[in-house]
Amino acid sequence: MKPMLSTDLNAVDTTVEKAKIEVKDLNFYYGQSKALKNINLSLPERSVTAFIGPSGCGKSTLLRVLNRIYELYPKQSAEGQVLLDGKNILDRSQDLNLLRTKIGMVFQKPTPFPMSIYENIAFGVRLYEKISKAEMDNRVELALKRAALWNEVKDKLNASGLSLSGGQQQRLCIARTVAVKPEVILLDEPASALDPLSTAKIEELIDELQAEYTIVIVTHNMQQAARVSRQTAFMYLGELIEFDRTEKIFTSPREKRTQDYITGRFG
Amino acid sequence: MAEHTVASFDEDLRQISRLIIDMGDLAGSMVGASTRALLESDNAMAQRVVSDDAIMDARQRELDDRAITLIAKRQPMADDLRSVVGAIRMAGDLERIGDLAKNIAKRVGSVGVSAAPRDLSHSIDGMAQMVLIQVQAVIQEYTAGDATALAKLRNDDERIDVKYTSVFRELLTYMMEDPRNITACTHLLFCAKNLERIGDHVTNIAENAYYVLTGTQLPANRPKQDETAMPAPAA
Repeated sequence: MKPMLSTDLNAVDTTVEKAKIEVKDLNFYYGQSKALKNINLSLPERSVTAFIGPSGCGKSTLLRVLNRIYELYPKQSAEGQVLLDGKNILDRSQDLNLLRTKIGMVFQKPTPFPMSIYENIAFGVRLYEKISKAEMDNRVELALKRAALWNEVKDKLNASGLSLSGGQQQRLCIARTVAVKPEVILLDEPASALDPLSTAKIEELIDELQAEYTIVIVTHNMQQAARVSRQTAFMYLGELIEFDRTEKIFTSPREKRTQDYITGRFG
Repeated sequence: MAEHTVASFDEDLRQISRLIIDMGDLAGSMVGASTRALLESDNAMAQRVVSDDAIMDARQRELDDRAITLIAKRQPMADDLRSVVGAIRMAGDLERIGDLAKNIAKRVGSVGVSAAPRDLSHSIDGMAQMVLIQVQAVIQEYTAGDATALAKLRNDDERIDVKYTSVFRELLTYMMEDPRNITACTHLLFCAKNLERIGDHVTNIAENAYYVLTGTQLPANRPKQDETAMPAPAA
């Protein structure tokens, strides 16, 4: 199903922008049970796309397909195509480590490694690149600046990553993701465990990062989706129900199910 | 429409739409009463319109308070958001209708019983009827959720504009015929203008209500036929 685009004067036609990721006829299975049903959608480059929907709708599953992280678990399989810059990443020949440097992911709960702030970032970089100490210092500083954390930690880079507050830990994880120079960043409920101020900092960060990265965010917080994203996909029971400009979804969605969900009339 | 999971949200929305309906009913009765007071030189009725306006203002303030509180507490989305923002705007138009009706009522004393206002104001009576029907219909169609009827109703304002033009010319003629008519006719002209403005507010309400119901705006251009601002035809 190709999402219908509205004919508003200020409508942004997402189909004319360059698609970074194109999902085509995607089905996903947890064993026998089908969790995603024939998903088709196109995520524009350097733009934030939000996936919303009730628990179990498949939004996190879809996110997990985008970097094939689901393959860490047995009996999970995907069929169809996910094209990153036109190349199918579901292809057997796809190098998974390379894929995950291109498509970074940040999870709901901050997951800093039990090592210093500096090492949290350098560790990932070393896996893929051999660079000098000076270059690494630069890289760490840049990543921490990108993640708007530098000013808070520059004097204690050797302190444990675990000593940071929840919001700082989450920004550290974003810095870690950014440090390996990804093209796409997947955010799975990145602010749901954070207080409002830390949440605002993460949202501000997302705003800045979209100038350079294609960002996909899964969130239960509808106001957050409305605030940070440029297009929103509403999913329900494994199907993509509606995909359109965020303003359109939150002011006058086309589908009744979308409307019922975002206005709090479901179930 | 299905109920919200949080039942008190529905109650908050219901209270707001109840206020809109109340204000709409009040606007209708004020428009009706003010023109009747004018045509029948009924000072007591005119006074009632003036005091009704205070009620109208209070309702609008209550609606504003409730709408702002609802936005702060519930962060409404989609049709809920449209209906709350739409209600604020519709309440503004209804309040203005109340003001204009009050303005008509306040002229009752000035037009006076002299100069046989009934003869002079026959066509104002017709115009007032048209406006009254529009005011009542717009709230009725909004409550019924009939977007098509609202779009038609908005275009029907054209007939009021045409009528206003003809009333304007008619009153001008009376004044030219007999200068003693000038005072009464000038007041009646203001009344006609107020009725025409009420029609415009009904148009706004219809446009807002249409947007609330459908999520799309009516096209910006609607027929306009008030020609009184154009140069008078050569006598």
